Amino acid sequence: MSLINQTNEEYYAGEKMFAVTAAPQTVFTCTFEPKLTLATSTEPANFDVQVSTDNGVTFNDYVAGTISVVNDNTVKPPYNQQTITLSVAVANSATTLVRVVLKAGALWNNYGSYEYVKLNDIVNNFLVAYTGIGKLIPLVKRTDVIFHAKRGLQEFSYDTLNSIKTLELDLPPSNSVIIPQDYVNYVRMSFVDNMGVLHPIYPANNLTTDPTSVPLQQKDGSFIQDEYGENTEAAQSTTRTRWESANDRLITGEFDEYFYNANVYNWSWRKETYGRRYGLDPVVSQGNGWFNIDRRRNVISFSSDLKGRIIILEYISDGLASDLDTKVPKMAEEAMYMHIAYSILAGRSGVQEYIVQRFKRDRSAQLRNTKIRLSNMKLSEMIQTMRGKSKWLKH
Amino acid sequence: MAISVNKVYKTVLLILNKEQRGYMTPEEFNRIGTQVQREIFEKYFEDLNQYTRMPQTDVDYANRLMNLNEKMNIFKRDGNATYVPADNNFTLPTLTHIVGSVTYEAKSRLPVEMQRVDRGEFYNLRLSPLVTPSEQFPIYLFENNKLQVYPNTINTKANAGTANVAVQYIKVPDDINWAYTVGNLGQFIYNANTPPTVDFELHNSEFTELVLAILMYAGIVIRDPQIVQAASGQLQADRANQKQ
Repeated sequence: MSLINQTNEEYYAGEKMFAVTAAPQTVFTCTFEPKLTLATSTEPANFDVQVSTDNGVTFNDYVAGTISVVNDNTVKPPYNQQTITLSVAVANSATTLVRVVLKAGALWNNYGSYEYVKLNDIVNNFLVAYTGIGKLIPLVKRTDVIFHAKRGLQEFSYDTLNSIKTLELDLPPSNSVIIPQDYVNYVRMSFVDNMGVLHPIYPANNLTTDPTSVPLQQKDGSFIQDEYGENTEAAQSTTRTRWESANDRLITGEFDEYFYNANVYNWSWRKETYGRRYGLDPVVSQGNGWFNIDRRRNVISFSSDLKGRIIILEYISDGLASDLDTKVPKMAEEAMYMHIAYSILAGRSGVQEYIVQRFKRDRSAQLRNTKIRLSNMKLSEMIQTMRGKSKWLKH
Repeated sequence: MAISVNKVYKTVLLILNKEQRGYMTPEEFNRIGTQVQREIFEKYFEDLNQYTRMPQTDVDYANRLMNLNEKMNIFKRDGNATYVPADNNFTLPTLTHIVGSVTYEAKSRLPVEMQRVDRGEFYNLRLSPLVTPSEQFPIYLFENNKLQVYPNTINTKANAGTANVAVQYIKVPDDINWAYTVGNLGQFIYNANTPPTVDFELHNSEFTELVLAILMYAGIVIRDPQIVQAASGQLQADRANQKQ
């Protein structure tokens, strides 16, 4: 059975066209991969129904009546078939066309969807193939499989899967941006210059910090409490205020007209060392700027020289932000099965240790394979890189 | 597939009456027959447990697990549980003897098997964000012959008639009945229609075991230890052979 169900038209054009020539029509059937959803109070519809009376020259949204949709996966499991029903029929004519068209978000998600398998499918496949009578795991609770599948996906997301998310942000006057909703850790921060080139920004690890608590104090140093008996907090820390107004050149050692820079000998020093630098620290010798994660407000703060810049924030999530419809790269599918099998066997009493060790090795091997596959090492690209080096590879 | 109650009764009487040993009335036969059918039926569950732990052969007719499943298939049923809004739970189909699997069947969606959990799990699973039950993977608690399902959206949909909770179960075997009328000489005459005869529901392959087990009880009724001994010996030999 083929794994692809939607037609080329549905995939590439994101639409399905119907000619309504013979009789008025109310029911239209499609086989899109994504579920078609109508507008709700929390999200808009992910598709439109449009009608053309001039043989496709112009299309207008269907407004004559209401639209209902049924996503049916019982027709040809596990695929979806959508039946769209219009409350008022579209009148037939020789030039009438109706098209069901995916909106941009759904269309983009649909593109490349074959690269992935849903976590839900991994759980079901595992239960089918690895558990049952006569197998190493004769009986397992489905919740155990779900747990290990999700934990596996989380672990893989951190260092194996290519699941880096990228946000482009305008840095506001506050010089800080809120940590993304599904943020787990950052990969890289950069600002974008006028040519669109990325300039990496580094963490301000040893330079400054954002305190997690900034209690207001009395003159004797004691903390001030509010009417609830809790310590009162300042709106912003002094450290942050000073950092935001700091002249970064004093830290980076970048030249300015007066040479008042850290680690640069100025004119008052002996004449023979005028303008020379000593003890340059590479950690701080960069002019791109710094960022810090403020754990008090849970925002990412940037140094003052980045005000108004476009920031690119690359970060990893754990892959579980969207429940069991979460997508897992197919190249990691076998590693996921092995991870689940190993985790179940390792946590079960009465399983011989050699079996546990076998699965541990299988998991490790599959994970290594996945890393190699997803690292996308292509011969031609490596050759091109090596051409700039002293070593030439022939092919 | 059912075993004719008349055929069994006649066979039992034939063996019992050999050498004028005794007689078994239809009333006695009906009661003993029902008892024996239940015994054989209940033995299936223990056999199933044992066979699932034994390696099986793929050769046709030699796979004990498959053969046993064939015998049990007669009693397998599928029915909808009934939602009781006042109690916020589901009641089982009437004839349910043992619950097999429970599925959540929403309109236009493939059925999803629900996971049976005990009370402790029921609480803990709902507290764990990673495995909290969803309509894709729902759970149920089975207590007091009622199903309490989670997530609650299933209850709402069942109440609205847009979804079902279906139960795949083993039904209780019906009580057998060798129906008869009394003839002029006081003899019992088989009459399949009034009241209706109820055959043994067991698989045809159980005929000999059925007759032997009834004979064993018949031997007790007519106080003939020879028959009890012969029948139980034969039964034991058959059962031992099945477990080798």
